[in-house]
Amino acid sequence: MDALLEYTWVVVALPLLSAVLITAVGKQLPGKGSEIGIAALGLSWLLAIGIAWQTFVASPVEPLERSVDWTPLGGGFVFELGMLVDGLTAVMLLLVTTVSFMVHVYSREYMQGEPRYTYFFAMLGLFTFSMLLLVVANNLLLAVIGWELVGLCSYLLIGFYWEGKSNQDAGNKAFLTTKFGDVGLIVGVIVLSAGMFGLTDTPFNILEINEAAVAGQLSTTTIVLGMLLIFLGCMSKSGQMPLHVWLPDAMAGPTPVSALIHAATMVTAGVFLLARLYPVVAQNQAVMATIAIFGVLTLFFGGLLALVQDDLKKILAYSTISQLGYMVAAIGVGGYAASIFHLFTHGFFKALLFLGAGSLIHAVHSNNISDMGGMAKAMPHTFWTFIVGSLALAGFPLTAGFFSKDEILIAGEIWAGAGFFTGSLVYWVGLAAAFVTTFYMARACFLIFAGENRSHHTPHESGKLMLAPLMVLAVLSVAAGYLLSPFSPEQPNFETWLATPLLPAETTFPFTDEGTAAASGLVGDGVLAAGTSLAAAGDGPVKVLHGVPTWHPDLLAIVLVLFSLAVFLAYRFYGKGLPERDPTLSMGRFTDVLVAKYGFDDFGYRYIVVPVRDKLSAAATYSSNVLIDGMVAGVGRATKNAAMTTYRVVDQQVIDGGINGAAFSAAWWSDKLKRIQSGDVQKYAGVLVAGTILLVLAFAAAR
Amino acid sequence: MDPNTAGWALVVALFLPLAGAGALTLMPASMDREIRRAAVAITAVGFALVAAVTASFDYSRAGELQFTTDVPWITAIDARFSLGMDGISLPLFFLTSLLTLLCAIYTTKPLPSPGKPKAFLSLMLLLQTGMAGTFVAFDLILFFIFFELTLVPMFFMIGMWGGPRRDYASVKFFLYTLFGSVFMLVAFLAIYFQAGANSWSITELSNMAPFGSTTFQTWAFLGVFLGFAIKVPVWPFHPWLPDAHTEAPTVGSVLLAGVLLKMGTYGFIRIALPILPDGAARFAPMIGVLAVIGIVYGALCCLAQTDVKRLIAFSSVGHMGFVMLGIAAMNEAGIQAALFGNIAHGIITGMLFFLAGSMHERYHTREIAVIGGGMLKKMPVYGVLFTYVAIASLGLPGLAGFWGEFPAMWAAISPGLGLADSYGGLYLGLVVFAAIGTVLTAGYFLWLIQRINLGEPTERWANEPLADVQAIEWVSWLPLLALILALGIFPRLLFGGQDAAVTNLVGFLGG
Repeated sequence: MDALLEYTWVVVALPLLSAVLITAVGKQLPGKGSEIGIAALGLSWLLAIGIAWQTFVASPVEPLERSVDWTPLGGGFVFELGMLVDGLTAVMLLLVTTVSFMVHVYSREYMQGEPRYTYFFAMLGLFTFSMLLLVVANNLLLAVIGWELVGLCSYLLIGFYWEGKSNQDAGNKAFLTTKFGDVGLIVGVIVLSAGMFGLTDTPFNILEINEAAVAGQLSTTTIVLGMLLIFLGCMSKSGQMPLHVWLPDAMAGPTPVSALIHAATMVTAGVFLLARLYPVVAQNQAVMATIAIFGVLTLFFGGLLALVQDDLKKILAYSTISQLGYMVAAIGVGGYAASIFHLFTHGFFKALLFLGAGSLIHAVHSNNISDMGGMAKAMPHTFWTFIVGSLALAGFPLTAGFFSKDEILIAGEIWAGAGFFTGSLVYWVGLAAAFVTTFYMARACFLIFAGENRSHHTPHESGKLMLAPLMVLAVLSVAAGYLLSPFSPEQPNFETWLATPLLPAETTFPFTDEGTAAASGLVGDGVLAAGTSLAAAGDGPVKVLHGVPTWHPDLLAIVLVLFSLAVFLAYRFYGKGLPERDPTLSMGRFTDVLVAKYGFDDFGYRYIVVPVRDKLSAAATYSSNVLIDGMVAGVGRATKNAAMTTYRVVDQQVIDGGINGAAFSAAWWSDKLKRIQSGDVQKYAGVLVAGTILLVLAFAAAR
Repeated sequence: MDPNTAGWALVVALFLPLAGAGALTLMPASMDREIRRAAVAITAVGFALVAAVTASFDYSRAGELQFTTDVPWITAIDARFSLGMDGISLPLFFLTSLLTLLCAIYTTKPLPSPGKPKAFLSLMLLLQTGMAGTFVAFDLILFFIFFELTLVPMFFMIGMWGGPRRDYASVKFFLYTLFGSVFMLVAFLAIYFQAGANSWSITELSNMAPFGSTTFQTWAFLGVFLGFAIKVPVWPFHPWLPDAHTEAPTVGSVLLAGVLLKMGTYGFIRIALPILPDGAARFAPMIGVLAVIGIVYGALCCLAQTDVKRLIAFSSVGHMGFVMLGIAAMNEAGIQAALFGNIAHGIITGMLFFLAGSMHERYHTREIAVIGGGMLKKMPVYGVLFTYVAIASLGLPGLAGFWGEFPAMWAAISPGLGLADSYGGLYLGLVVFAAIGTVLTAGYFLWLIQRINLGEPTERWANEPLADVQAIEWVSWLPLLALILALGIFPRLLFGGQDAAVTNLVGFLGG
C-alpha cells in the first residue's frame, strides 16, 4: 500500500514544473499560463488526496523515508535530499494542495486584466513547490531551504504591485521581520544538529533528532537553546507577537495570495515545524511553557486588534494572527494533534474568508467594510459561503472550527489537570478570545451584508471560477471537523492519522511525575507525538493521548452563551448598518492603544529600523572612511614626514652637512696647518725638542 | 589527458595568457577590433584547455596533486618550479580562466577612457597568469612571485582606466597589498629556515608541520596573516577595497572581486593553516571575531552607501567575512564552506560588478538617488537579472550564495583543533552575530532593489531611451547566471570535488 507514498515527491515536483513551464511558455498560451498552473496543481491535488487517504485509513502508519545523499558537507557529514511521509506530512500535503488548487482556479478569473498575470501564476507555482518542500523535508536543512524560499515568494507576491511605495515597504517589512526570526531558526537548527554530531552522519535528519531527543541523547542545553531559537523563527513566520507586525501589512499583496500564503499555508509553517519537532519540544517544560505563553498572548491581543479595523483584509489578518496563537499555544500544552487539527480546519475556512473577501472587493472596489453594506442580496453565493466561513472561525457548534478549537481548549484543560498553569491560561483566555473573535466577525458580517449598500458601485456576483472554490471550501469548512469529533470512530480519526508510531510505548513528558501524569491522562503509548506503538495498533483499539473526543456539555454551554452574546452585541451595534460612531472606535484610551497596534510597529521602526539603517550604518561608514582609513593615512603621512625629515635634516643637514663640514674644516685646518710648514729649520728643531721633552715627561708620569 | 602525466597542460594553460599578452603588444594599436578578437581567442583557447583539464581531472583522487610539474628552478636558493592541482585548486583555477574569458568578451564593448584596448588586454592577460599561477603553485617562492605578479597589472588597470580618483585608489591598493606581502615574505623565509629542509615545497612543509616553537609559530603566522588578511580583506584591513573597486573599470572590479580576493583566503587554506597549525589554532578565535565584525560591519556600511558600486564593494567585506568564519572554524566543514563561499562570491559579486558597470554605461551615474528607481520599468530584463543576482548575494537557498553562508555558521558551532572546548561560547556568539549579519545583508539588498528597481522611473529618465541587456552582455553573463543556479541546486559540484582534498588538508592540522 505504500506504493502511492513512494510518489510523494511528484506532488512536490509538479508545482515546480508548472512554475518553470509558465515562465518559459506561459505568455504564448491562450490562458497566459494559468492553464498550466491549474492542471499541475489539479494533478498534485489528486495525488495528495490519494496519499492522504492511504495514510488515513491505515493510520497510524509507519513513516516512509526516502532520501539520496545530495552533497557532502565536510567532516563526513552529508546533506540529504529526502522526503519523510507520515500522517503529519499527508495532512499538510492535502491542505496545501487543496488551497493552492482552489486559489489557482479562483485567480484565473480574479487576476484577469491585472498586469503580470503570467508571472503571478509562475510565482504561485514556485510558492506551492517551496511550501511542499518544507512539508515533506526529511531533514531540517532541507526544511530551512523550503522555509526561506516561501519567504522569498511571499516577499515577491506582497510586492506584486511594486509600482507603489507602500507595497514595496510591506514586502521589505515581511521579508526582514521573518528574516530576523530566521536568525533564531538557523542558529537553532545548527545547535540541534551539533547535538547530533557524535551520533550520525546526517545530523539534520528529523526522525533521528526526534528519536535522540526521546532517548535522552540530547543534552538539556541543546534542547532548550535549540528549540527556543527555532521557536523564534516560528514566531516570526507564524505571526506570534511581537513579531507579527509584518502580517497585516502583507495584505498589500493580491487577495488570492493573502488567502494562500498569508492565511492558510505559509504562516502555519512555524506551527508545522514545532509539530514536526514535537518530541524534542516535549522534553522540556520551560520550552513548552514559553511556547504556550507566547501563543496565549498572541491569540488574545492579536484578536483584539481586529476590533478597530475597517479594512476587511486586515480584520482577517488579525484573526489569522489570533488563530495562529491558538495553534502555537496548543503545542505548548501538549495538544499536538489539536494544534494541527486547528491548522487544518483553519486553512480551509480562512482561505474561504479571504477568497470571499476578494469577491466582495472586486464587487465594490474597496477593501473597507464601511464601503460595503447590503451585499447579501447582490451576492448570494459569496454571502452564504462567507457566513459559513465566519461561523467556523467563530467556533459555532458543529462547524470545523468548533471541533478543532474545542480540542485545543480541552488540551489546555488536561494540561491544567496535570498541574501546569499554562493549561488553565489556554482554556480561559482561549474562551475569552473566542468571544472577541465572534464579535469582530459578526461586526464585519453585519456591516458587509446587512443594511444599505454604501458603495459607489452596483455590486455583482462573481463568476463561476471564483464561486466554485468558495463552495468547495465552504463544504470543507464544515466537513473537515468531523475527522476528530464525537462522531469519529476510534480508528481512523485525525489523531491516529497524526500519530508517530516510532516512539517508544508508555512514554510520558519527562518533566511530569508519574502519579500526576497517570491521573491526568498524560501517559500513553507514544504520547509524545499523540502517538501509539505499532504493536498496539496491531491488536485491539489504538490508544492515543486523548482518544476520540467526547461531548463536554460545560464547554459547549459556555461556547454557546459567549457566541450568542457576541452576536447579539454586534447586532445591536451594527445590525442596522454603519453606526454614526463605531462603538469599537469610541472606547477612549483602549481604542487608541488598539489603533496604534500597541505601538509595536512604531517601536520597531523608531528604535530598530532607523537606528540601524541611518545611524549605525553611518557610524560604520564613518569609522571605515575616517577612523581606519584616517589611521592608515596618518601612518602614510607620518612615513612621508619621516621621509622628508630624513631627507632635509638627516641627509641634507647632518650627513651632508657633516660631510660638507668635514670638507670645510679640512680647508680651515689646512689653512692653519700650512703655516707650520714654513721651511724654517730652526723652528722645526725647536718643535722637535719640545716634543721630545713632552714625550719624556709623559712617559715619566705614566710610570 | 592523463592527470598523472599531463603536467604540460597546466604549464600551457598558465603561460598561454602571458604569451598572448606578448603577442598582443606586437600588434599595431590601430588594429583595434583585431586586438579585441585576439584577446577573446586567446582566453577562449585557454579556457578550452582548462575545461579539458577539469574534465580529465581524476575526481576519485581529488585529494592528491594531479597535472604536476616539479623541476629545479633557482637551485641557489632551493626554489623549484612546482605546479599541481587538487580538488581545492581546481575550482579556483577554473573560475580564473572562465572570468577572464568573460571579461575579454565584455571588452569587445568600448573601454572607458583612455581606450587603448591593446594595453588593457595585455595587462589583463598578464594578470590572468599571475592569478592562475597562485592557485597551482606548490613552491612558496613560486607562489609568492605569482601572488605579487598580480599587483602590477591591476595597479595599472585602476590607475589608467579608473574613475576620477583613480590615482589615489591605485596607489592605495598597491601599498596596502605590498605592505602585507613584505611580512608574508619574511614569514616564508622564517618558515624555510625553521623547517631546515632546504625546501620551499608547500606539500613537504605541510607534512613536516608542526615545527618550531610556539613563539615561532605565532610570529610566522602573524606575518602570513598580514599578507593574506589584507588581500581578503579581513576587517580592519579593508579600506583599500571600496576605493579600488569603485574606481576600477568594470573588468578590473570583476577580476578583483572574482579572483584576486580569493588569493588571500586560498593562501590561508593552502599555506597558513597546514604549515603553521599551532599558530592557526592560536589565531583562530581572533580570526573568527574579525570575520564576524566584517560581516556585520560590511552590511552596515552597505546600508549607508549612496553609490551602487561602492555598496557592492562593501558587500564583499561581509561576504568574505563568512569565508573567514569558515576558516576560523578550523574543521573540514568550515574549510569546505570557505572554499564554496569563495567561488560563490566570485561568481555572484563578479556578476554584480558586471551589472553595476553596465548600469553606469546607461545612466552615466552610479548614485542610487539619481537613478531613483523604476529600472524594472525601463529595462525589464536587466531589472530581473539585477534582482536575481542581488537575491543570490543575500544568500537565498537554491542559489550559490547559501552554501557558503549556512555551512560556515554550521561549521563554526563546533570548531576543530580543540577550540570547541576552550572557546565554545565565543563561537556560539560568532554564529549568532553572523546570522544577524544575514538579516542586515538582506536589508541592504532589498533596500537597494527597492530604490533602483521598483517604482516608476523618475522624470529625469522617463523619456530617456535606455537599452535593455545587449547581445554581448548576454554572452558574457549567461555562464555566471547559470552557475549561480547550478551551484545552488547541485552544491556537490564543488563540495564533492573538494571533499578529499579538504580531508587531507585538515589532516595536516592534526585534528
